[in-house]
Amino acid sequence: MSKTLTRRTMLKVASGGIAASFAAPAILRAQSTYPDRPISVVVPFDTGGYNDRLARAFAPFLQEAIGQPLTIINRGGGGALLGHSYFMQQPDDGYSILCTSAAPYMPLNILTQDAPFKLEDFHMINLPSRDYTLMATSSESDIKDIEDVITRLKADAGALSIGIQPASADLVNVMLFADANGIDRDGLRLVTYDGGGPARNATAGAVVDIGLVGGQGFIPLAEKVRPLLVFDDSARDGWTSPTVTELNGADAEFVAGSQRGWGVHASFVEKHPDRYQTLLSAIESASKDEATITSLKAQDLATDWIGPEASNKALAATARVMTQHIDLLKGT
Amino acid sequence: MLDFSALDGAYSILTSSWSAWLWLIPGLVIGLVFGAMPGISITMAMAIFLPITLYMDFLPAIVFLTSIYTGAGFGGSVPAVLMNIPGTSSAVATTFDGYPMARSGRHNQALGVALASSVMGTLSSYVLLLFLIVPVSIIVLKLGPLEMFVIAVWGLLLLGSLAGSSVWRGLLAGIFGVLLGTIGMNTAGFIRGTMGVPWLLDGIPAIPAMMGLLAASQLLNLINTTYLIENEDDRKISFAKIIDGVKLTFKSPIIIFRGATIGVVIGAIPGVGSSISNLISYSETKRNAPDGDSFGTGNPKGVIAAESANSSSEGGAMATMLALGIPGGGATAILLAAFAMHNIIGGPQFIAQNRDIVYAIIFSNFAQAILLLIVGMGFVYLAASIVRVPLRFLIPSVLVVSTFGSYAILGSLAGPITLFVFAILGWAMVRYDYPVAATVVGLLLGSLLEQNIIRTWQISRGDLGYLLERPGAILILVVMIASIAFTALSKRRRKITSSVTDPAES
Repeated sequence: MSKTLTRRTMLKVASGGIAASFAAPAILRAQSTYPDRPISVVVPFDTGGYNDRLARAFAPFLQEAIGQPLTIINRGGGGALLGHSYFMQQPDDGYSILCTSAAPYMPLNILTQDAPFKLEDFHMINLPSRDYTLMATSSESDIKDIEDVITRLKADAGALSIGIQPASADLVNVMLFADANGIDRDGLRLVTYDGGGPARNATAGAVVDIGLVGGQGFIPLAEKVRPLLVFDDSARDGWTSPTVTELNGADAEFVAGSQRGWGVHASFVEKHPDRYQTLLSAIESASKDEATITSLKAQDLATDWIGPEASNKALAATARVMTQHIDLLKGT
Repeated sequence: MLDFSALDGAYSILTSSWSAWLWLIPGLVIGLVFGAMPGISITMAMAIFLPITLYMDFLPAIVFLTSIYTGAGFGGSVPAVLMNIPGTSSAVATTFDGYPMARSGRHNQALGVALASSVMGTLSSYVLLLFLIVPVSIIVLKLGPLEMFVIAVWGLLLLGSLAGSSVWRGLLAGIFGVLLGTIGMNTAGFIRGTMGVPWLLDGIPAIPAMMGLLAASQLLNLINTTYLIENEDDRKISFAKIIDGVKLTFKSPIIIFRGATIGVVIGAIPGVGSSISNLISYSETKRNAPDGDSFGTGNPKGVIAAESANSSSEGGAMATMLALGIPGGGATAILLAAFAMHNIIGGPQFIAQNRDIVYAIIFSNFAQAILLLIVGMGFVYLAASIVRVPLRFLIPSVLVVSTFGSYAILGSLAGPITLFVFAILGWAMVRYDYPVAATVVGLLLGSLLEQNIIRTWQISRGDLGYLLERPGAILILVVMIASIAFTALSKRRRKITSSVTDPAES
């Protein structure tokens, strides 16, 4: 829930009816330099998740760079569909910006949930956080390594229970993994969880034999799990397991995990090129600031500057692969 | 087990600076006030005050936030008792007996009982935490879907005792609730019953629905009465009677112990926690009490059972947060965020290296629980004046506050709309003598039941032999069946010996 909205509502509650005074819109001042009033950051997830933490940790630095306070607005629900739709309904004047897991949620909203928007309606300014699928098992499990997993699944595809989120990049990855290693994908014993957290807990607690979930979330549980396979083309976060390209060759097919960071309305870029430039350079300078990097690193949050071009390209590429595997994303 | 050098470390942390202690009382008061407002959840109260903790040191920040947590945990019981509005899903069972007590003029006692049981619940859960923080967190990780399913079924047993005049109507209302609970996207990714409304993707918003069913329906039925308590002489606010209630609580140590145990074990489960522990504790107590039939009509034991279990969930949720870095719910997610703001990452490494800080947090929670008793008494004394407000002012105010509260929860009109729809539904159910509480319980447990039976089926592929691989589930099943059998047996024996009054009854 948003800080301001809550506080507002609180006041309404406390004063029991002077609500009207709060309903008055912010006084519109004469057009001057952007930004001349606070900027809202829409986070389409509830408090406490990665995007929320990222937005709140980055806000003080961006605030300083842009010269206006930022207000975080949490609009969770429906796998970010509600928050993304809400953001699209806000004016495209640069006073509402988005901090979200653009992939996989935007493609998922569009492909599986009849979202009232297209991918092209968004423009990503920077997606510094690029997660990846990690296949892991509990540290007390008798599964030794990825070869062991392949041998067992080849003999009987249902030999191991697999903790996974439905309609996720992880699901696409496990299917591609099965195809590449001669495992019958229809025979896999999938156990579906509603979120990455529960799926990771089930993996660490050996409730399921193996789990495929976003790798960064596994870091706090590192002592309780044994990594088996990283779905990326280079080693990540110090996991000792092989990568999917080491296992299946350089052209191994896989989908990137969550790509998280900052975005705006695509129409904002066209309508207000000068404002866009201001916002872009503020995010760039805040991302590159030493103080930001130290602070966010300590909280395991990403702050690398990738820029709009690379960010939008990566998002579009992920959306493309997900479109190819649309049948996997609709119900498990 | 206890690590004595860390204990010593905790002692020196807590005594070296007294600035942390300064935040206890403000935190408790904030928690009480916010928690008592319907619709303002514990999470929200903590989220509002999270930013100012950035400017505090680590320990004062955590002490302040956990004080809000403790205060708000009890605050939610005040409207549950006085107005039949459970501010959170964890106070549902408190309304069953707390509200009837208030209506019959025993509001002071009811609040005293609720406060004392809350304090005892919190306190005992932290004592348990002090010794068993790591084992508790490991058990939580090991709980699989089958165990969760059995726990949810245990919660459903409560339906039997909520049935009221007709068992069939009660079951129908319960099944209706379970079906409502399955609306939205299920765990396998299928979307059902949303009628294309995107706000229903995550299911029916439970708290606005609950407020509508329980509170609004009650209030509409009060329309022809002038005061919450009919008899003018009973409308007193008495400190002595609140203390009476506190004393009454301590006459039922077994109920407190059972509630606290259920609260810690079930409250620790991430995501389910307190909303189910209070139901199970209530139904177990009702079945085992010699005067079980008077539950639901204002038996203080019902309040004790519910309150000791819902507040001991705090300790359970803290165990998983501190030991594993897993937030059990919104409140612990905020605490983790506060940890992160001070560059401290919760999880196995944190507890291994900073046991003294963990102990210091636990100790400060002992102090919070004890202070809550004092601060809380003052608070319920003030809150009880609601009974003196004529209903023609109270009903509209409560409806307005509930509407704002339901808006605050979702941040959109979906909240008030849900409240409105369920208020009408609740009124109609009461009018035609269907127990609304059964629907609420069904709604809270519906998705839990479904998710976990699906997962059990996915893991086991329908093989019943899987049950044998899960000793935990067998244990829970055995305890549940033994408890039912024991009740049946003692009921029959009681019928034979008959009519022995219970001294704890007031």
